[in-house]
Amino acid sequence: MLAPAVVVYTVMTIVPVIVAVYLSLTDWNGFSTATFIGLENYARLFDDPDTTRAGLVTLVVAFFGAVGMLGLGLVYALQLKERRWSNSFFRTLAYYPHVISALILGFLWSAILGTNGAINNTLRDLGIGPVGFLFDENLAVITLVGVIVWAGFGFNVVLFVAGLQTVPRELIEAAQIDGASQRQINRRIVIPMISPVVTVAMVLNLVGLIKVYDIVVSLTDGGPAGSTETIAYLILSRSFAGTDVGFATAQAVGLMVVSAALSVVVTALRNRQDRAAAS
Amino acid sequence: MSLNIFGGAARAVRPASQPPADTPADAHADTPADPPAGQQADAPRARRRRPSPIRIALLTLLFVVMTAPVYLLLVNSFKSQQDIQNSPFSLPLTRISLEYLEAAIHSPQYNVLRSYGFTLLLVVSVDILCILFAGPAAYVIARSLKRRTQILLLFFLAGTFIPSAALIVPLIYVLRAIGLGNTVTGLILHDVAMTLPVSIFLFVGFIRTVPRDIDHAAAIDGAGRLRTYWQVIFPLTRPAVVTVLILNSIGIWNDFISPQILLSPGSGNYTVTTAIYAGISQYSTDMTKVFPNLLLAVAPVIIFFIYMQRHIISGLTVGAIKG
Repeated sequence: MLAPAVVVYTVMTIVPVIVAVYLSLTDWNGFSTATFIGLENYARLFDDPDTTRAGLVTLVVAFFGAVGMLGLGLVYALQLKERRWSNSFFRTLAYYPHVISALILGFLWSAILGTNGAINNTLRDLGIGPVGFLFDENLAVITLVGVIVWAGFGFNVVLFVAGLQTVPRELIEAAQIDGASQRQINRRIVIPMISPVVTVAMVLNLVGLIKVYDIVVSLTDGGPAGSTETIAYLILSRSFAGTDVGFATAQAVGLMVVSAALSVVVTALRNRQDRAAAS
Repeated sequence: MSLNIFGGAARAVRPASQPPADTPADAHADTPADPPAGQQADAPRARRRRPSPIRIALLTLLFVVMTAPVYLLLVNSFKSQQDIQNSPFSLPLTRISLEYLEAAIHSPQYNVLRSYGFTLLLVVSVDILCILFAGPAAYVIARSLKRRTQILLLFFLAGTFIPSAALIVPLIYVLRAIGLGNTVTGLILHDVAMTLPVSIFLFVGFIRTVPRDIDHAAAIDGAGRLRTYWQVIFPLTRPAVVTVLILNSIGIWNDFISPQILLSPGSGNYTVTTAIYAGISQYSTDMTKVFPNLLLAVAPVIIFFIYMQRHIISGLTVGAIKG
């Protein structure tokens, strides 16, 4: 009964990982015979300007994207936590991009924010612009983070609302009787009580964003001048230039390690939380 | 203190002795019978009559920012290039036309509407194979007392750590080596492997809540293990099956990396995402093609989402947290 799942999973997931580790130790270019070169590709990871820049972009996007989704998620969860028809509507509205392909969302936003997009065409009539949302090297990264936050904060809202609904009503009423303001209640009672959910959401956001690819392809295609290339983007564009498979797989193995490390953190946090919940 | 971040969704993961849990069990059921809802209703209602200006501002902003892209998408799918350029936000009722949408529907190249068929085939094949493989495997893992089998769960969970961007290039060489390079079969098997870890994990968690006595009863009646699973346990795990199906279907439907890289453009098989990608790379400046095609790509997902939103939101939340 186990065999089909184990076989498919091993061949399609475990074997490629082993192949990736092997290739990353060679100078294979896709055609030649692979020569074993040890850890040379890994040493190059830290010297290669494209890789270090993509690494930095990935960290910036992951960090600010995760914080942005978390912050907005919390702000709106506090607004939308009561069970009410209207709140349910607004939660759904915040959530819907989560079910649409990131590739399509990126294309939609690039049609809106491009030089010839809806926003710049409107600004032009007002005599402003064009604003290089996607064509200014610094602004493009900010735009990318903005679109990612737009697409992902609704998921955080739903997580936090689920957490907030478990905060006992009596506790908040007791604080109200003691004269606490809504802000004090939120800061001193509600947010500390859902802090485990906040931690899990933060790590989920980070794990998701560290491998961000689709939305980069469709929104900016790595540009302008490579300023929005992430690690995942770089791996896939390099591997298909077909010249430096060994190096690209070293990047891939690096990404796996970072992603695995983050996921281990998730699991550890979740276990701690489960134990806390059980006691 | 119990902090249940899984909200209502966790309530679905209960022994099967309860009534079918999926209808009332989602996170946002506004059932009046729900005691917390009743309690919560009293106190805020007094204050609710006059929402604070901050709330009004925040919700207005939310509404505008979330609906504007969809509004632009809808409106501009029916306008000429000139109208899109000159007045992107307006809807000139006298000049709107269905011709652009029709052109997209009948487009000979990168036809999004036709790609629904292939994408659906992919989703259904992966869903079926995933359930067929993950279900029995999860059953064995959930019921086994052996440490070796328990470790198998960790083995599968390791798969969730691997980003597909990192996996896909070496996978090409593996697929070529076993004669599945550039084939739909190869893509389907890869997709199944991607969905197995979370599916098995969710199934194991659910099957463990089903009392073992049920297995014993089936065994006494002469059912083998496979038969016990499919005829007795599987029907009892329906809420988990629904969650897994939603999670996998949305994941496969929206997947871009795998079909883009495992199927060459020459194969003629396009999913919605790869068709859009190929199309937009070609006609990127012709907005009368961009908007209608994007509309066609988004429409089925939005309709499905509106129709099934409670299941989808709780399914994706459970899948993300537990997976």
